[in-house]
Amino acid sequence: MSIVEFRDVSRIYRNGDHVQKALDHVDLTLEEGKFIVVLGQSGAGKSTLLNLLGGLDSPTEGTIVVDGKDISTLTPNELADYRAATVGFVFQSYNLIPTLTVIENVALVKEIAPNPLSSHDMLEAVGLYDHIHNFPSELSGGEQQRVSIARALAKNPRILLCDEPTGALDSETGVMVLKLLLSMARDMGKTIIIVTHNQNIARMADVVVRVKNGRIQSCEEQENPLSVEEVDW
Amino acid sequence: MLLKKLFRTLWRYKAQFISMVIMIALGVGVFLGFNMEWYSLERNTTEIYEATGFADYRIYSEKGFSEDDLRAVLAQDGVEDATRFLSVNTSVKGDTDVIALTVCENPAVSGMLVLEGEPYDAQSPDGIWLSDAYARANGLKLGDSLTLTYKTLEVTGTVRGLIKASEYLICLPDETQLMPDYTSYGFAYISPAMLDKAIPPMFRMLAGMSSMYFQINVKSGLSKEAFVEAADRALGKTLLVASKDETISWAEAQGEVEEGKTMGSILPVLFLAIAILTMVTTMHRITASEKTQIGTLKALGFRDRRILRHYAAYALIIGLIGTALGIGIGYLLAWYIMNPEGAMGTYIDMPSWTLYVPWFCWLVLILINVFLTVIGFLSVRKMLRGTAADALRPYAPKRMKHLKVEETKRFKALSFGTKWNLRDCLRHKSRTFMTLFGIVGCMVLLVGGLGMKDTADAFVDVFFDKANNYAVKINLDTESVTERDVERLLAAYEGDWTAQRAVQIGDDSYGLEIYGITHDRVRFADEAMRLIPLRDDGVYVSGRIAKALGLKVGDSLTFSPYGGDEHYTVTVAGMLCSLSESVVMTGAYAERAGIPYTVSAIFTDHTDIATDPHILNTQTKQAVMDSFGTFMNLMNTMIWLLVLAAVILGIVVLYNLGVMSYTERYREMATLKVVGFKNSRIARLLIGQNLWLSVLGIAVGLPAGIGVLQYLLGALASEYEMKLALGPATFLVSILLTLLVSLLVGLMVARKNRRIDMVAALKTEE
Repeated sequence: MSIVEFRDVSRIYRNGDHVQKALDHVDLTLEEGKFIVVLGQSGAGKSTLLNLLGGLDSPTEGTIVVDGKDISTLTPNELADYRAATVGFVFQSYNLIPTLTVIENVALVKEIAPNPLSSHDMLEAVGLYDHIHNFPSELSGGEQQRVSIARALAKNPRILLCDEPTGALDSETGVMVLKLLLSMARDMGKTIIIVTHNQNIARMADVVVRVKNGRIQSCEEQENPLSVEEVDW
Repeated sequence: MLLKKLFRTLWRYKAQFISMVIMIALGVGVFLGFNMEWYSLERNTTEIYEATGFADYRIYSEKGFSEDDLRAVLAQDGVEDATRFLSVNTSVKGDTDVIALTVCENPAVSGMLVLEGEPYDAQSPDGIWLSDAYARANGLKLGDSLTLTYKTLEVTGTVRGLIKASEYLICLPDETQLMPDYTSYGFAYISPAMLDKAIPPMFRMLAGMSSMYFQINVKSGLSKEAFVEAADRALGKTLLVASKDETISWAEAQGEVEEGKTMGSILPVLFLAIAILTMVTTMHRITASEKTQIGTLKALGFRDRRILRHYAAYALIIGLIGTALGIGIGYLLAWYIMNPEGAMGTYIDMPSWTLYVPWFCWLVLILINVFLTVIGFLSVRKMLRGTAADALRPYAPKRMKHLKVEETKRFKALSFGTKWNLRDCLRHKSRTFMTLFGIVGCMVLLVGGLGMKDTADAFVDVFFDKANNYAVKINLDTESVTERDVERLLAAYEGDWTAQRAVQIGDDSYGLEIYGITHDRVRFADEAMRLIPLRDDGVYVSGRIAKALGLKVGDSLTFSPYGGDEHYTVTVAGMLCSLSESVVMTGAYAERAGIPYTVSAIFTDHTDIATDPHILNTQTKQAVMDSFGTFMNLMNTMIWLLVLAAVILGIVVLYNLGVMSYTERYREMATLKVVGFKNSRIARLLIGQNLWLSVLGIAVGLPAGIGVLQYLLGALASEYEMKLALGPATFLVSILLTLLVSLLVGLMVARKNRRIDMVAALKTEE
């Protein structure tokens, strides 16, 4: 069953006379419960794709349907509701609130998500139960990224969007985070979409989407994706 | 190239830049304006005192002084110059106006400044040199004829000159009036020759006067004690001597100067302190957010000194622009308070209204700019510490630390927003402190300003409305009125009476007021401003006398009436809150103590007063109240300026810090938006923090404001015996206005969160 559909989507940025087509008439359909990797060089348009899907930005043209709902024409408030209920975000730079403890960072989504999960469970799932009363600045990069994943999952979203989630981590920690994300797709049935320029991550994906110059170059399903341990890091 | 960067950076931080300039300009403006006011007043009054030879001492005699008396005074060591002097209230023929007719034999002492017309001529047989303010208010001009009457005497002359005189710098008919009213009261000088012509020696002889000159005015650098001794030596008897401190034209003007100094030393300093502290915080924040650029310049090979110079220039530019604008505001403010057409112009009648800046203000301005530059310099030096690589790392705010309070159940139960805001305040203590300081400052100014109005309103209400429970005051001719006349008039007008004379206590002269109260026409207020009846078992003294002489209830007090050698010892029965510095007693007590008196005025509710040879003139309560209208206008002007300044201060400080807080939390707010928080929810969080701090600031600012007001009243106590009064409206307006400012600024800042670029914000490195 498809959960994401891009129909003839373009995103054009205008800055004076300069026009930049970040996405150019993109059509894309993604299935639910898959571990999807979007690959592309810097500036290819992969982050724009993720931002549009996450409701952080709106397309200039075309329609984006998520879980049967057109999100391309939503108002800012409706987009906020959409972000609160349907998608979770994981960023390269974690983006935790420095003045809240680990448990508070995760629990804050309870204020807005319609069906939140237990913050404690989520932190246990990411292996940080012992650190729940620490502030982000007291954790390592990998630990902070795991808090960020726990926060995204606590909203109980259908889709988890990850923008270079291992970009700021050493390879060992990166592997740990990827393993966690993969288990979310396999065990919890979440749709995980990772944007990266790291070819190795693509080898463990169910679906690999390649983006170049604002267009979808290919969208391939991998029949036998490798496990995290099998990938040569 | 760095210069280009300098201007572009200024543009980038324009909100902070503009608010810092406004703060410095306001701080400098208010500081300069208030200090220029008293200093200019001091300089301008000194000019007219010197130009017209304002006398240091006045010797009074009811019998008048002869030429020999004058010569004897002049012969004393330490007497520089002297003149025989006459000032008597005369009526303008065909009008109800009163003019203080003045004759001065030696115009070098207590003389005049001719502004228009002929120079003063001591031999002029018919020349009148008239107060220009009175002439203007009554449409009189040079060449007009004027007839003045005093009892049965008439003096007719022609207006030869329009003048000002320091003896009438504050031209009041008596102490019950606070503000001059040139439409009904003025002054004029005539020559001694004209006086001789108008009052024949025969009349003087019949009146038992050796001369018409009841005063000798003296220029002397002697102390009061030494001068009294010299006068006694010269004239061979104890006479009433008043120093210039005891005259309205000196004491009130100096009182204004002192009042200005007091005002100038508290509120403007508070303003300036807030401005400087805001600047310190903002400069630190700007350099912190510029840290990467500072590091880049260092990595590129720029020397530390060059970078320091570059960034210190920001602070200097802000300081200089703010100071320049502040000087403009200062001049405007000083001019607004101190101009001949303004409120001060209706009070003080002086020829020159030049604005002067006290020397220490220039010093303060230089120091402020040096200080601001040093602040900029130190902020950057902190960022430049260590290697180029260290400098390149972005500024990291302090790490969060756990607090004991976090262990409590109550803290854990707090909502996310509350925790977020609470920890943000703790993490950014200086910003929080500055916000609090701004709110407290705003509150202090509001409570101080509005409280001052309440206090003055209560003062006027008790003193001039409730205490003066009459419609008309009938002033009697004390020289001709007999006891039987007084009884007749009291019966006819159902009035209460007063007898007033001057007394000496030690070397100082005070008023003695004796009252006969049977119709409740005059009332008295105690130190708590409560109306009290006068008892017949002692005297009441004003709070200022009690303080000056260290008197308390039950103490004895000895005084000697003016013109006599008798001494009376009385018991202090109570203290009064009074406008004049007087000893007050009932007629019954005066009789028991054997103090002679002549009734000088009757207070009545009758408004139709028939002509009577013993009635000098009448004065309605309304006229007295009206003169207060002008006084209150002067005060209201100052108060509205303060309230306006408080609101601007509140808005600028809170907006500046709000923008700073917004910038520092930009990334956190972007995260909240990404997670799914709506703009309105984030706005509520931001406004919430502002409101909390406002509530805290109000809680501190309210008592602080009352404290400042109390201090101000204490400092002004030598001039007005006012008791602190704060109406509920003042509390309400101060609190609501502060909350409104906080809410308004919160909304202004919160509106910005709609424009947060989530994508860009989250891409950046923390």
